[in-house]
Amino acid sequence: MSIDAPVKAPPESRRLTHMEAVVEAIAVEMRRDERVFLIGQDIGPFGGSMQGARGLYEEFGPERVLEAPISESAMVGSAVGAALFACRPIVEVSFGEFLPAAMNQLINQAPNLHYMTGGAARVPVVIRTRVGDGPYGGHPQDYVSWFAHIPGLKVVVPATPADAKGLMIAAIRDDNPVLFVEPMSLSHARRGEVPSGGYVVAIGSASLARPGRDVTLVVWGSTLPLALQAAATLSREEVEVEVIDLRSLAPWDAPTVVDSVRRTRRLVIAHETWVTGSFGAEVAATVAGSSPRIELLAPIKRVGAAPIPIPSGPLRAHALPTSAQIAAAVRAALQD
Amino acid sequence: MTGARELFEWMVVARTLGTTLCTLNVRWFPAEGEEAVHVGSFVDLRSDDAAAPHYRDPFVVYLMRGAELWRLVAQVLGKSAGYNKGRSVGFNGPFHLGVVPWVAGDLGTTIGTATGAALAFKHQRSDRVCVCSFGDGTANRGDFHENINLAAVWRLPIVYVCQNNGWAISQRASSYLPAPVAARAASYGIPGRTVDGQDVEAVRAVVAEAVGRARRGEGPTLVDALTYRRRGHWAGHIVSDADRAGVVERADPIDVLRGRLLERGVTTEAELGQIHERVEAEVQAAVERATAAADVGDAELGLDDVFA
Repeated sequence: MSIDAPVKAPPESRRLTHMEAVVEAIAVEMRRDERVFLIGQDIGPFGGSMQGARGLYEEFGPERVLEAPISESAMVGSAVGAALFACRPIVEVSFGEFLPAAMNQLINQAPNLHYMTGGAARVPVVIRTRVGDGPYGGHPQDYVSWFAHIPGLKVVVPATPADAKGLMIAAIRDDNPVLFVEPMSLSHARRGEVPSGGYVVAIGSASLARPGRDVTLVVWGSTLPLALQAAATLSREEVEVEVIDLRSLAPWDAPTVVDSVRRTRRLVIAHETWVTGSFGAEVAATVAGSSPRIELLAPIKRVGAAPIPIPSGPLRAHALPTSAQIAAAVRAALQD
Repeated sequence: MTGARELFEWMVVARTLGTTLCTLNVRWFPAEGEEAVHVGSFVDLRSDDAAAPHYRDPFVVYLMRGAELWRLVAQVLGKSAGYNKGRSVGFNGPFHLGVVPWVAGDLGTTIGTATGAALAFKHQRSDRVCVCSFGDGTANRGDFHENINLAAVWRLPIVYVCQNNGWAISQRASSYLPAPVAARAASYGIPGRTVDGQDVEAVRAVVAEAVGRARRGEGPTLVDALTYRRRGHWAGHIVSDADRAGVVERADPIDVLRGRLLERGVTTEAELGQIHERVEAEVQAAVERATAAADVGDAELGLDDVFA
C-alpha cells in the first residue's frame, strides 16, 4: 500500500479538442513506456506547431522530447533507425507539405524494412503530420493518398478527438510504421468526449458516423463534419445518408463500406484532397469490383478539391469542397 | 583482439569471395582494392554494436559478425536460403547480427537509419556505438549533411567512414567533390580524419580512436579513408585505361599487409599461401552449397509478412 497522497480517480472522459487528445495520447504512452520519445521542430518550451506538443517537454524533458534541426530526412531516418534498435519513436513532420523532404525514408525504407529483412526487423515508428486547410492558413496541400499506395506503411486520419487519441495510442503500440495525419481544420475545432487512460481504436476499422438507408457517403479527416452537416440538411429532405468515416486509409475497412453500399446501392465519396488518384478512387474501384456484384442504382459520385495547387488566402475557400457540394452530389446520386 | 594475421585473412576472404561473386552475378558491386576499409572499420566492433557498411560487397563485414558464408552466397543468387528469404538486394545484411539493413538502392538513407541506431543506443544509456560507411558519391546526398549535423547536435555515438574510391559509377571525383570529404567535419564541429584506406592497420587505428570517442559520449567523427576501385562499378562494368587516365593508383591493401607481416617476421610466404588455399576451398564449398539450394517460387512471396 502506498502512503502517498490519495490518488484521485481519473474521470471517465473529458471534452478535449482534437489536438489536446493527440497530446494526451502521447503523454499516456510516454508515461507507460520508456522506449517512446518524440522528435520534431519547436516541440520544446514553445509547445509545438499549433501547440501540438504542449506540456510534453515540461513533463518529459529534453531527453525524450528532442528538438531537431530542420532536416526531415534525418529526423524520419533516425527515428526509423532507432525503431529498428528497440525504441518506439514518434517523429513529427510539422506539416504534410514537408513529407516529400523525407520521401526516401518514408517510402523506400520504413515500409520495406520488415519484409526485406525476411521478417527479422520491426519498425515501430509513428510519423505524425498535419495537413489541409487550417486556422492559420499555411501548408494546405494534402498528399496523404500517396502513402496508402505503399505496402508496409499504415496510414490513419482521425476525424474526432476520441479517434485522435485512440488511433495515436494504437499507432504508438503498433510494431509497424504508421503515418498519423491530423487534419488542421479539426485541430482546435469542436471538443468531443475523449475516454481517459489507454484508450485504443483499432487501425483499419472505419466508423459508422451516422446510419442511413438511402446513400452511402464515405469520407475521412476534415470532410467528416461537412458530411454530417450535409446529412443533417438532407434528412430534412427525407433523405437518410449513411456516413462512414474511414479513419484508416491503410489498411482500410473495405467490408464496412461494401456492406453499406450493398444496402443503399448508392455511393458518394468526399474528401479534402484532389479527386485524381486519391484514395477515393480505391474505394470506388473496390465497390465497383466487389463480388457478388452490387447493382448500383446510380453512378458513383466523387467530391474533392479543385484540380489546382491549393491557393492561399480567400481564394482557397473556392477550391475546397463544401457541405453544399457534398449534399448536391448526394442528390445527384439519388436522381441518376 | 584480432591480430594482424587475422586482418590479412579477412581481406583474403573478402577478395576471394568478391572475385567469385563477380563471376556468379555480373551485377555484383565489387570491392576489390577496398577491402582494408571494410575490414579495418568494422573488425573491432562489439557484437552488440551496430554495423552499417557501404553496399560495395560488404560481405566480409557480415562474416566478421558471424554470418554464414554459404547463406550470403545464396543471397546473391536470390535463393530463399539467404538471410532475407530471397526478397531483397544481395548486399542486404543479416539484421539479427546488428547489421543496419539495405532494403533499397537509394543511396544515403542508410546514413539516416544508422544514425538512428546510435540515437537508440544513446536513448538506452548504453555504451554501444554504430559505425556507418558509404562511398564518396553518396557523401553528396543531403542525408550525409542532415544526419552528420543532427548526430553532432545530439552527440550521438557514431563513426562515419567515407570509403573514398574516387568514383561514382562512371564519374570521376573531380565532377562531384570540390574539396576533401574530411574537411566537411569542421562545419559540423566534429573531428575529421583522413587515413590511407589501403593500410588496414591505419584504418583500424583511426576508427578505433573514433569509436572510443563515441563510447565515451563525445559524439561523432568523420573518417575519410582514401582507397582505390580496381574494377568497375559493377562486375560487368569495364573501366578503360583511357577513363582511368590521371587517376592515382593506390597499392593493393593485401600486398601492403603481406609485406609488413613478412618484414616483421611473424609469418612466412608458405603460411600466407595456406591462408589463400584454405579460403579458396571454403568459398568454393559455400558456392556449391548455395547453388544446390532451392530456387524461390510463389510460395516465397511472403504475402502475409508485409507487416510485423
